[in-house]
Amino acid sequence: MDQDQLTRRRFLVAVIAFSGAAGSALRPDLLSMSRAWAESVSTLDDSLRQAMIRMARLLFPHDALANDVYAEILDKVLSDTASSTEFTAHLEAAAAALDRQSGGAWRELDETAQIAAMRSIAEEAYFVAIREQVRVGIYNGAAFWQHIGYPGPSKGFGGYLYRGAGDIDWLPEDE
Amino acid sequence: MAKTYSLNDDSVVVVIGSGAGGGTVSNELAQRGVDVVCLEAGNRLTLADVVNDAAAMDQKMGWHDQRLGAPVWLCKTVGGTTMRWSGMTPRFRDFEFRAKSTYGNLEGTSLLDWPVTPDEILPYYDKAEAKMGVSGTHGMPPSFETSNFKVMKAGGKRIGYREITSKRTAINSVARDGRPACQQIGFCWAGCAIGAKWSTLYTEIPKAEATGHFELRTGAMAIKLTHDADGKARSVIYADADGVLHEQKARAVCVAGNVVETTRLLHNSQSNLFPDGLGNSSGHLGRNYMRHVMSLTLAVMPGPVNFHQGTRQSGLILDEQHHDDSRGFAGGYIIETAADQPYNIAAFVGGWGRETAEFLDDYPHIAGCWITGEDPPEAGNRITFHDTERDAYGLPVPVLHYRDHPNSVAMRQHGARQCERIYESLGAKRILSRPDAGGGCHNMGVARMSDRPADGVTNRWGRLHDVPNLFVSDGSVFTSSAAPNPTLTIVALAIRQAEHIAAAMARREL
Repeated sequence: MDQDQLTRRRFLVAVIAFSGAAGSALRPDLLSMSRAWAESVSTLDDSLRQAMIRMARLLFPHDALANDVYAEILDKVLSDTASSTEFTAHLEAAAAALDRQSGGAWRELDETAQIAAMRSIAEEAYFVAIREQVRVGIYNGAAFWQHIGYPGPSKGFGGYLYRGAGDIDWLPEDE
Repeated sequence: MAKTYSLNDDSVVVVIGSGAGGGTVSNELAQRGVDVVCLEAGNRLTLADVVNDAAAMDQKMGWHDQRLGAPVWLCKTVGGTTMRWSGMTPRFRDFEFRAKSTYGNLEGTSLLDWPVTPDEILPYYDKAEAKMGVSGTHGMPPSFETSNFKVMKAGGKRIGYREITSKRTAINSVARDGRPACQQIGFCWAGCAIGAKWSTLYTEIPKAEATGHFELRTGAMAIKLTHDADGKARSVIYADADGVLHEQKARAVCVAGNVVETTRLLHNSQSNLFPDGLGNSSGHLGRNYMRHVMSLTLAVMPGPVNFHQGTRQSGLILDEQHHDDSRGFAGGYIIETAADQPYNIAAFVGGWGRETAEFLDDYPHIAGCWITGEDPPEAGNRITFHDTERDAYGLPVPVLHYRDHPNSVAMRQHGARQCERIYESLGAKRILSRPDAGGGCHNMGVARMSDRPADGVTNRWGRLHDVPNLFVSDGSVFTSSAAPNPTLTIVALAIRQAEHIAAAMARREL
């Protein structure tokens, strides 16, 4: 299983594990998406790329994370032959729709207006697909983990029994 | 010591499925000298295959055959869903075996009392707990108190709860039965990497093999049961990993494929004698499908919790596991700790933008709990099969019909509010409840036990009313769902059923 498949499965699992009925509504889309993977890698022109890095940040804005972190998430999906073509199409669709909503270059708007334009396309399949890639990319990524102090799966270092499990010092000592 | 049996050996009991029900009934029969062939559709993993990431484990062991309708979380692997479970093992309370008598006529439901009394089950709860090494029972210490549990406990106390316990988890609190104590690895819901949590993969199955009375066939997907002219089950037709069909003769058959496959196998075994599915003269097969009332609450607490540091579910609150009409619903629920990885928390929080991101920034401060509560049976909540869609086995694709009863909606609202109060009492900065989280992990009721053959599919032993040597050994036999996580009760019933089968064989009645 390659990493991208893993990422997609993670996405599915997360959606279904936590979203119940909402997850089931999303599922058919995702499954057909996985079947439609193409066999080539695309590159984005710079203006599209910059717009989409901006959109990725506005999807899950963490001031502690550099723009590079968001750029790398897009690049990683784009560099995978299995997902590249389809993901490129999603990004192009999103960028075109955002510009259309803005009556010009979405990237030039202020943040409030940028977010408003994103809201207007938030239910579109391409937007959801991008959002989910960015969600998994950010929150299953080393930069965010470092930011919150989460070291990732602990099997490799033997668990937390002697590494902090149960340590909590702020609870009230009632009753 | 693992044995092999010939396809024509009609002295064996064939068990279909190797999870909580099938794995347990297999081992309990083999320990009594009964020869068992266990057919498991999935592969056999080892502990080295286990990683603490639910999505990666789902790739290795999830059941991915096509289903339509309400999603379910099943496993196609040796160990079945004992490879993907929290380990929570609360018992039913007495009133929960008498749902109809206790709750009265709940409109739109098909409530029924269990044909088994609490006193009859009690010794089997003891045996199941001893087998599984349940914490706080049979000399096992309570489970380690994680920070997430300590938060739930402190908040629970503040809002008046008294039955708050870190007992009742089938995760070794000390080394036992050749398995180590829990190391608090965390995110172990989809498999314990060291085998501290009970799973039939590394308990019942190897123990059965050691008896010399047991053969496990992996990659073996049961397709159809056949019966003789007298209506007794005669053989199981199954597909091997290459799709080649085989027919294994049987003296008796135990079906434990979890609700979807158990229903499908019996449905697919229709014949002139059983035109609506094997053992379905009552029309109840596939109906009364129950999946528990669930709701998840996450709270950003004033101080760090670090709920990744330890087991997902390390304790529970039992105060709401009772019947009290004044709460506005029938039946009870249990509150249990819950935790998950950052990307899953983001999915739970949902949406996008600053608010979602800020919740995740507070990840180290998040505490979580969820409820599992009684889901009343309804005839219309059921598993049917698509008229034309066929899966890779050529079997009709299952369709799961499920909707909430108003009782479940009221219970879920109450449970979510109580979970929120727990965290409010400690000054939580932000609280989110998601009412639709988790559905499809607990599956029960499609071949329910009943005294009267007209009311259910199986009798008090889980034997089909219609077929004298055919048993159901999984959660499908639950007459009502009760509140607790179902695995302990499945294991208790499977031990009891195996005793019954072995005794009937000894008397030459089977």
